[in-house]
Amino acid sequence: MSDTQWNIDPARIDQNWRAITIELDAPRPGPIEAGLRRVGFPAHLTRLMVATPGLRRAWYLAVAIVVVLALAPFDDTATRDDLFNLLLLAPLVPVLGVAFSYGVESDPAHEASLATPMRGIRLLITRAAVIMAVSMGVLGLVSLMAPGRSPWAFAWVLPAFAVTTLALALMTVLTPRRAAGVAAAVWIVGVFLARAVSSDLLAAFGAQGQALMLVSTIAALAVVWLRREQFDRLESHV
Amino acid sequence: MSAAQILARGLGKDFGGRKAMNNIDLALGGGLVTVLGPNGAGKTTLLRCLATVLKPDTGSLLIDGLDPVHESDRIEIRRRLGYLPQEPGLAGSAKVFDLVDYMAVLKDHTEDRRRRHLVFDALERVGLADRCTDKVSDLSGGMRQRLGVAQALVGSPTLLLLDEPAAGLDPDERFRLREIVAERRHRTTVVQSTHLTEEAAISDIVLVMAGGEITFDGTPAALAQIATGRAWVQADQPVGVRASWRQPDGTYRCLGTPPVGATLVEPTLEDGYLLLSSVVPA
Repeated sequence: MSDTQWNIDPARIDQNWRAITIELDAPRPGPIEAGLRRVGFPAHLTRLMVATPGLRRAWYLAVAIVVVLALAPFDDTATRDDLFNLLLLAPLVPVLGVAFSYGVESDPAHEASLATPMRGIRLLITRAAVIMAVSMGVLGLVSLMAPGRSPWAFAWVLPAFAVTTLALALMTVLTPRRAAGVAAAVWIVGVFLARAVSSDLLAAFGAQGQALMLVSTIAALAVVWLRREQFDRLESHV
Repeated sequence: MSAAQILARGLGKDFGGRKAMNNIDLALGGGLVTVLGPNGAGKTTLLRCLATVLKPDTGSLLIDGLDPVHESDRIEIRRRLGYLPQEPGLAGSAKVFDLVDYMAVLKDHTEDRRRRHLVFDALERVGLADRCTDKVSDLSGGMRQRLGVAQALVGSPTLLLLDEPAAGLDPDERFRLREIVAERRHRTTVVQSTHLTEEAAISDIVLVMAGGEITFDGTPAALAQIATGRAWVQADQPVGVRASWRQPDGTYRCLGTPPVGATLVEPTLEDGYLLLSSVVPA
């Protein structure tokens, strides 16, 4: 028998045991959340990304659209029509995600989340930024699969920003889904209008169109910032 | 941090020309406050204004001296706030732990290990620590309501706002919830709304609301005293009294102006509330 005296603080044992229990008992993240963590998003951010069912649906929808776009022909047989379709649809991917990421329609915990320091505008911008980053990253890969299409292959980037920020600006007066619908409609009508007026299939994606998208993005962001309190109150029902 | 101080003067809120809340004055600091009133009395509107998610149309509101009209003050108030809305919005497919964890992230607890401890603390307080990995859809109604309270409690707020936390719960769950809420009253200003008079009995302060206004502000005992000398029992079915109901022993409990020789009884909080409420005109 050993005469060794063990001086162990019972409170410290409890504390350590509790810490171990908590680490073991906490549920493992789901596949989307785990995937986002693997590519470098911090855990607290991924929790914001996947917590609401509406947001998860938005991810699935965005992924489905990207897959459809990826299935388009990207070899030498690809026509300007294929490119037109890619450039028309790609900017709608992030706006769909944003539309389903926020507000009473998509987030059952919307009211409770408004009453936190994260609040409306920060939550919306955080989610929109991650959705933009992920969907544009995937769309970027899709575009890289389009040999010989440069410089047009990435002509959807500024429009994607413009359509998404327009939707955010409209959310200060409309529900997120309506705002996204209106922004998407404005984009589609604008593209077809430009095509009809100029007789060039890709007119909307040229230098003038890109400049307009940039101005639109800046203007929409200014509106969002100036009217940010609209995201912070329940009256707005955004 | 000590319990939050609430000071409100002349708070009012209209919805489409209808006054949901009118001329509300409050001075609260610590303890359990119950806002009692029928559906549509303005309880939810008041709690939403205190939670800073609704902006009052008139009046002023200060919480710990901070004015929610100003963005920076509003954010600071929300750091001290735990809020359970009437519709907690608990997604059925989510896991118990994940929902409270989500709320902890929204409350700016970004350090993972510390946040997990806060989440477990909150779940332990409501007796759900052993249900961490369960889906919300697998919980009973009472457990879901306790989960909503855990979301509000995470991070130990100094102002806890609970909108109808006991609605739809069975007596066992109501008792359990009452214990949880009462345990917080010493360190926190707890404001709960209810239309159940028994929930108000354990309060430090009762506010009775009707038609968007506060018609009573005092202790549960003071509310009961309103019915002193105006509550009696009789064997025959009463006529022309303010309110009456048949009791299990077959006698009728009556409220109003007692007839000569009536058998007066000790008034209850419910008697006082019924005499005040719009259902029974005073």
